[in-house]
Amino acid sequence: MSMKLNVSIGHIQFQNPVTIASGTFGYISKYAKSADIQKLGAFIPKTITLAAREGNPSPRIVETASGMINAIGIENDGLDHFLAHKLPDLAKLKIPLIVSVSAYQHNDFETLVTRLSQEESVSLIELNLSCPNLKHARLIAQDPAATQEVVAALKKISAKPLIAKLSPNVTDIAAVAFAAQEAGADAVSLVNTFSAMAVDVHRRRPVLGNVTGGLSGPAIKPIALKMVYDVKKRVTIPIIAMGGIMTAEDALEFLIVGATMVAVGTANFVDPQTPLRVLQGIKAYMKQHRVSDIHDIIGSLRTS
Amino acid sequence: MIKCQYTCSIVKNQKMTSRLFCLSLKAPGFVQRVLPGQFVHVRVANGLKPFFRRPFSIFRAQKTVDILYDVVGLGTRILSEKKKGESIDCLGPLGISFRLPPPGTKQVVMIAGGVGVAPFLALTDVLKKEKYQLVLLYGARDKDHVFSLKEFRKNGCQVHIATDDGSHGVKGRVSALFSKINLKMPTYIYTCGPKPMIKCVQDLTRTQHLSGQASLEEVMACGVGVCLGCSIKTTKGFRTVCHDGPVFDLQEIIL
Ligand SMILES: Cc1cc2nc3c(=O)[nH]c(=O)nc-3n(C[C@H](O)[C@H](O)[C@H](O)COP(=O)(O)OP(=O)(O)OC[C@H]3O[C@@H](n4cnc5c(N)ncnc54)[C@H](O)[C@@H]3O)c2cc1C
Ligand SMILES: Cc1cc2nc3c(=O)[nH]c(=O)nc-3n(C[C@H](O)[C@H](O)[C@H](O)COP(=O)(O)O)c2cc1C
Ligand code: FES
Repeated sequence: MSMKLNVSIGHIQFQNPVTIASGTFGYISKYAKSADIQKLGAFIPKTITLAAREGNPSPRIVETASGMINAIGIENDGLDHFLAHKLPDLAKLKIPLIVSVSAYQHNDFETLVTRLSQEESVSLIELNLSCPNLKHARLIAQDPAATQEVVAALKKISAKPLIAKLSPNVTDIAAVAFAAQEAGADAVSLVNTFSAMAVDVHRRRPVLGNVTGGLSGPAIKPIALKMVYDVKKRVTIPIIAMGGIMTAEDALEFLIVGATMVAVGTANFVDPQTPLRVLQGIKAYMKQHRVSDIHDIIGSLRTS
Repeated sequence: MIKCQYTCSIVKNQKMTSRLFCLSLKAPGFVQRVLPGQFVHVRVANGLKPFFRRPFSIFRAQKTVDILYDVVGLGTRILSEKKKGESIDCLGPLGISFRLPPPGTKQVVMIAGGVGVAPFLALTDVLKKEKYQLVLLYGARDKDHVFSLKEFRKNGCQVHIATDDGSHGVKGRVSALFSKINLKMPTYIYTCGPKPMIKCVQDLTRTQHLSGQASLEEVMACGVGVCLGCSIKTTKGFRTVCHDGPVFDLQEIIL
């Protein structure tokens, strides 16, 4: 039986729906096995900003029940360093490259998108909208109007398909996803981490140097799944889903409720083989259920 | 998806004292890659508890990769219950190694707090080939944390011990031992242990104009430099302990 696993966003084709979540596989580290990474649908390096950022004080991570809280603070060396030192290696990968960007000023977003639009090796741009909305005391992704405004402005100047990455720290994530779609986003990705904290009871101090951070890992999966389900009912553009995926079954749940692609994040720290195991498991499932095209799984949830 | 993942078989899991264990691991091609000062990142349980892997310095790398560990919480307790023949998923060897002392060095002083002594056995396995005077200053909580240091002595190391409660060796901190030894300049320092001890060593050596290296511990997620979770402040900006370290120049760490 021949199996069709390929999916697409805009005009970009992916050989399969499995990728990794930004910030959980670095750029391409000296330990990375390119041959294995090239078996995935796409690669997404850690979010970059226009200028370098130092990140948050340590401790930056804490283990929690079935997950972790992180407050890294988008530490990165900035766009110029990325283009000069990271992109050449990433460009050698024979799979689409999705570059994640974030900005703390509107102009920075425009510069990032304009400059990355000129790079042939960049296939898509992901907008990490979990950054402050400067007009209000909220994140852009917490405000449908701000999301629409930012995405619409960037859509005008981008030569690459745009993905809006959404925050789960909202009342109605489907409304934000819909705003992104209306503004021309080619896809939405969700979820980013849930606001969270941990306290050291002996010292009565927050565990994290930044006091609060974001929860990820299997602990968030059922909530992330419901959010993807809600978003699927409101939008027609593809969804890249993430949140606690550890196994093929987790990934299949997201595909069945309507995700076009799935991303493995925190699980990479537990077992770096996870994305490949997820991909193998999806193939095994398709064989077992005699499904020849992944599109027969995507959005196939039966509710009656 | 990464190059350094091994399924190791447990050759031995030996109880050294009522608190300390030594685990010997084997996998094809593993031990040959180890340099002194590197560590392994061990998945102690296949389920979700504990969630993260646990990092351990490599104590010795001869026929097997050995780690020396103190049972302090759930992860190390699970590890202590592992039996010979079981297999265990390890990433390693990770991080950078100790660098050799600068030319002209006469004496090498290793200052270890608790299981911070672990990476120094592999280090003395290398340093014994040179003509340095080797001194180990070992500070432990109590006698339950003091294991036989004969392997160090075999490598030609003078050993001085201090315990917090005086149940073995001198009572007091390892820094107190430092003031008692005869320095044979030029002296070079290696240190590993809890942060307050490293800070203390930093201060002591700064006043005496000694240089050296420190191996640090920090809570880790990935262990391979991709999550940026284990960053510490250095004079060169933030650096990851797992990838840029765990060994740093003693004076470049900002504590
Ligand atoms: C590079 C490196 C090398 C290390 N080498 C050794 C070694 O050779 N032998 C050894 O016994 N231990 C070593 N450690 C510390 C070891 O990783 C922790 O003791 C272990 O993770 C505790 O796990 P647990 O589940 O038993 O305890 P937990 O229940 O997780 O914690 C118990 C206590 O240990 C502390 N702790 C937890 N994780 C770490 C960590 N990564 N670093 C420091 N403290 C921690 C906690 O704050 C807590 O106080 C090393 C750590 C690092 C980063
Ligand atoms: C250590 C760490 C760093 C992260 N860094 C980024 C980042 O730079 N940009 C981003 O969009 N998301 C980042 N994320 C969020 C993940 O991409 C993902 O959305 C989230 O963790 C949920 O998926 P998971 O449960 O599979 O990890 C990070 C997550 C973690 C745990
Ligand atoms: S533990 Fe991830 S960068 Fe060090």
